Amino acid sequence: MRIGLGPIALKNAPRIQLESFGREAVASSFDAMWLSESRAEGVGGGLAAAALLAQVVPIRVGAVIDAGLYHPLHLAEDIAIADLTSQGRIEVLLRFSPEATSRYGASTARDWCDDFLNVLALALSGAHFQWNGKHLKVPARIEANQPAPERLALNPATAQPAVPIWIQASDMWMVDLAREQGFGLARNFEPGTRVPAANGRWTGMLLCPNDVQPAEALAAATDKGAYFVVAAETPAQVSSAGRRLAGPLRMPGFPAWINQQ
Amino acid sequence: MRLGLGIFGMQSVPQRPDHHVKLYRDVLEDAELAEALGFDSIWLSEHHFWFDGYCPADIAVAGAILGRTTRLGVGTAVMLLPMHSVQKVADDAATMSRLGEGRLTLGVALGYRDAEFDGFGVRRKDRGKLMDVMLPRLAESCAAADPPVPVYVGVATAIAAQRAARLGLPLFADSTMTPQELREMLDAYNAAAASAGLTPPLTHALQRDVFVTDDRESDWAMLLPELRYMRRQYGGWSLPQEPDETIPSYLQRLESDIEAKLKNLIMGDAAYVAARLREFESLGFDLIVCRSQFGNLPRESLHRAFEGLSRVREAVSP
Repeated sequence: MRIGLGPIALKNAPRIQLESFGREAVASSFDAMWLSESRAEGVGGGLAAAALLAQVVPIRVGAVIDAGLYHPLHLAEDIAIADLTSQGRIEVLLRFSPEATSRYGASTARDWCDDFLNVLALALSGAHFQWNGKHLKVPARIEANQPAPERLALNPATAQPAVPIWIQASDMWMVDLAREQGFGLARNFEPGTRVPAANGRWTGMLLCPNDVQPAEALAAATDKGAYFVVAAETPAQVSSAGRRLAGPLRMPGFPAWINQQ
Repeated sequence: MRLGLGIFGMQSVPQRPDHHVKLYRDVLEDAELAEALGFDSIWLSEHHFWFDGYCPADIAVAGAILGRTTRLGVGTAVMLLPMHSVQKVADDAATMSRLGEGRLTLGVALGYRDAEFDGFGVRRKDRGKLMDVMLPRLAESCAAADPPVPVYVGVATAIAAQRAARLGLPLFADSTMTPQELREMLDAYNAAAASAGLTPPLTHALQRDVFVTDDRESDWAMLLPELRYMRRQYGGWSLPQEPDETIPSYLQRLESDIEAKLKNLIMGDAAYVAARLREFESLGFDLIVCRSQFGNLPRESLHRAFEGLSRVREAVSP
């Protein structure tokens, strides 16, 4: 099992606040700290902020990204550069937000999401690729732009062989798409919820409230493990969640008396 | 006069390849050194899909540098705006300006390489029209950010300068422009601003290739392969091979361009470089971004040049 802190909303968060959460996340044994952009509210830069945070904390850093709003190659490039500057510590959670989509004037069509995720996955795969979708053709092969290559590749590539990417899917077709592309799946915690099934090497992710209890988390986990990302609004909540969860989630049969000391 | 360091592309060049993990670690160390040496800012460059991994995402690198430093400014020199979503750039910049406590600056320009436009599904021929639409939106969003994000417009022609003038935005002039070309461009800029009823900014930014050394002969031998690589790359992008042009005649045309542009390098001891930079200050450029990294220089040589440039900084901005 893995535990992450957050996501901490970037909206109105000053650097000093991120730093104090980061210090507490490290001291409390979290595996990662997550940040969240909110493009519906004009708060972008999730991956750039993650790149900043990675210079402040030694643990992995996650970015919750509003997807489908602009060209997926720009997202792939942001992921690659954030991963390189962090020496391979970046993780990503994609979500498709109707409010952000509306603000950006982007499409909500299923086949646009399909094109978006396919191009993103191809770009991050390291392949010399081309994509001919309903909404996206990459390279576009526009006559006025010639000569231009028939294929392109993302350069530079990511530092990690594969950057872990999860999708918070709201529809079954999106779940299928995520599975097809090799992305992990994430969902919000509710009593009785199970962690989404693992996809390939990525265990399912559960976005948990701060007061989630070890027994609840363990009951939600699958045999393939789980990634619990736990919310916090204050550094004290970071500390208490880490202390409460780290032992039980990392060792089956964790003796309760240890946390009573 | 303020001195910035740049422009950095983190390229793994054929004559001195390195893994990009190391190249990005290096640029973060360079930023720390730039801050320790008292430079105003560090500047990042953008290109896409090139085999040497030329940096394609400046704001993400800027984020890392802002995280690593506490005082140093970080700028894009330049972001190729017509290939981007202007809303994305504005939202990214606003967040990073806040987290960077006002240290982010955007330099934006048209871009020119067909393959990059094609990758993003944009007609290169539309870049001017796109810039006309995108630049006012970006300028407005960046002015409204808290703290505001300064926007410079990358220019190499009078037309581009006039576009900036109509919005009252300062210029970021190309490294290959001669003093005479810069004067003519500023005249066109000031005239366009006056026609628009705007009082233009009094000062602008300029990029120059600069290498401070006390051993010109030895360093020239070290620099020449790197400079030639850089100039051949930019030349090949801006002067593509014509369909009916043979490779030998194309290389000959490229070579003439390289030779002409190599002459722009300002190379010498600190006193000489300071005197040359003051010439540009007198034209109206109060921020000069000095490029000493051409390709991927040996670290020791690059840092020696930075230290030399810090003596120039002490002379020109005591």
